[in-house]
Amino acid sequence: MTLAHSPLHARHLELGAKLAEFGGWEMPLEYAGGGVLAEHKAVREGVGVFDVSHLGKATVTGPGAAAYLDRCLTNALDRIGPGQAQYTLCCDDDGGVVDDLIVYLRDADDVLLVPNAANTAEVVRRLVERAPDGLTVTDRHHDFAVLAVQGPRSDETLAAIGLPVSHDYMSYTEAELGGATITVCRTGYTGERGYELVVPAASAVAAWDAIIAAGEPYAVRACGLGARDTLRTEMGYPLHGQDLSREISPVMARLGWAVGWDKPEFWGRDALLAQREAGTVPLLRGLVASGRGIARPHMAVAAGGTTVGEVTSGTFSPTLRKGVALALLDRSVAVGDEVTVDVRGRTETFVVTAPPFVQSSTR
Amino acid sequence: MIPEDLQYTADHEWIRFEGDIATIGITDYAQDQLGDIVYLQLPAVGETVEAGAVIGELESTKSVSDLFAPVSGEVVTVNEALESNPETVNSDPYGQGWLITVRVPESSGSDDLMSASAYQASIDS
Repeated sequence: MTLAHSPLHARHLELGAKLAEFGGWEMPLEYAGGGVLAEHKAVREGVGVFDVSHLGKATVTGPGAAAYLDRCLTNALDRIGPGQAQYTLCCDDDGGVVDDLIVYLRDADDVLLVPNAANTAEVVRRLVERAPDGLTVTDRHHDFAVLAVQGPRSDETLAAIGLPVSHDYMSYTEAELGGATITVCRTGYTGERGYELVVPAASAVAAWDAIIAAGEPYAVRACGLGARDTLRTEMGYPLHGQDLSREISPVMARLGWAVGWDKPEFWGRDALLAQREAGTVPLLRGLVASGRGIARPHMAVAAGGTTVGEVTSGTFSPTLRKGVALALLDRSVAVGDEVTVDVRGRTETFVVTAPPFVQSSTR
Repeated sequence: MIPEDLQYTADHEWIRFEGDIATIGITDYAQDQLGDIVYLQLPAVGETVEAGAVIGELESTKSVSDLFAPVSGEVVTVNEALESNPETVNSDPYGQGWLITVRVPESSGSDDLMSASAYQASIDS
């Protein structure tokens, strides 16, 4: 399979990026002279810029586009208005998660979706298949770059190049940058104050260069997807394919807040209501290492000698300087309990916690 | 960039022989491939290690790599400073980032070791 590349690929090569495959795209994992720890720190203390152009972009347009999506996706779109964004899920009829995504509501007849790279084609396929006449679902994966500018200095960085920064968390506004119209959204996947910019592909390099130059007084770093993973794990944000999947439902992942339970219709509704009612499915919990152990996905979790679940995401927290993990655990396990993880044959102790592991500063 | 006075293994470790003491570390290439090292599992002082056997682990933010014994012998010292500062392996792999020293019996062979130029050629290919 040929890997897709971002419009910023040449910049990444110039910056000495180590590349890795993410959902069919070859993207930066970390940059020369940086590394996961330095890039992570830049975002927590200053500002970092990520190329996340591998994220999908799809539009749903036509009369009743928003109403149609409200019948498909889990969250209740009437909770937001035009100019706002919402985290939502595309579920299968059995409640499994096809993808988690961000919906940008432009108006009742025009919506932008940002799914995960690997799942965009499938989300689009499902939406096309069931769309009523008059609605158009368009996969625009390659038409736009997405730049995430994240960190306590992201406001100063974007303001320096004339971009709007005063809007609320999970809201967006359109702006001009170098002659192109871009979307500036107060969203992110790091737990820091920050923005995600949706930029026409042809303007991506100019936007990247402008942000890097504007961030120089704040020691801006180009950040790779390695740091994005440690940052999101510290927040307990789920990653589709690990903490959310066809097998791990929103009820298990404790994402009930992103489900419009009162809605009469959405994909997976009956199955998810049944899961919520039964109260027996395992739940996603946080684990913090008591010692030096670092749990990794698929490692077994035990309590009192009995297996009680499996790690879904785990890494070293650069902020806490110890291992943190998300794990799908039986209901018998409660926050505060001590559990053990089999780390390649070593038994390491962890304490069950409620994420985030590090306080969020998004607002 | 690769120190001339050391010998190297195909597993990207280096060895410095001083009498019967071998100091062991990982190469700059290895630390760069691993990324930021956050945790090391090293053998204990007094432990006997056998060439080629797994004797520890180096864990970075993104992956885990086994540490192999490049020679057989008894572990004499372990770089304890790395417990609190594992990133030293990244910043100074041939110096302060050394891992362990091993006492090597004189009869012990080390035929599989490479010179600096041979090691350079192996990572360039």
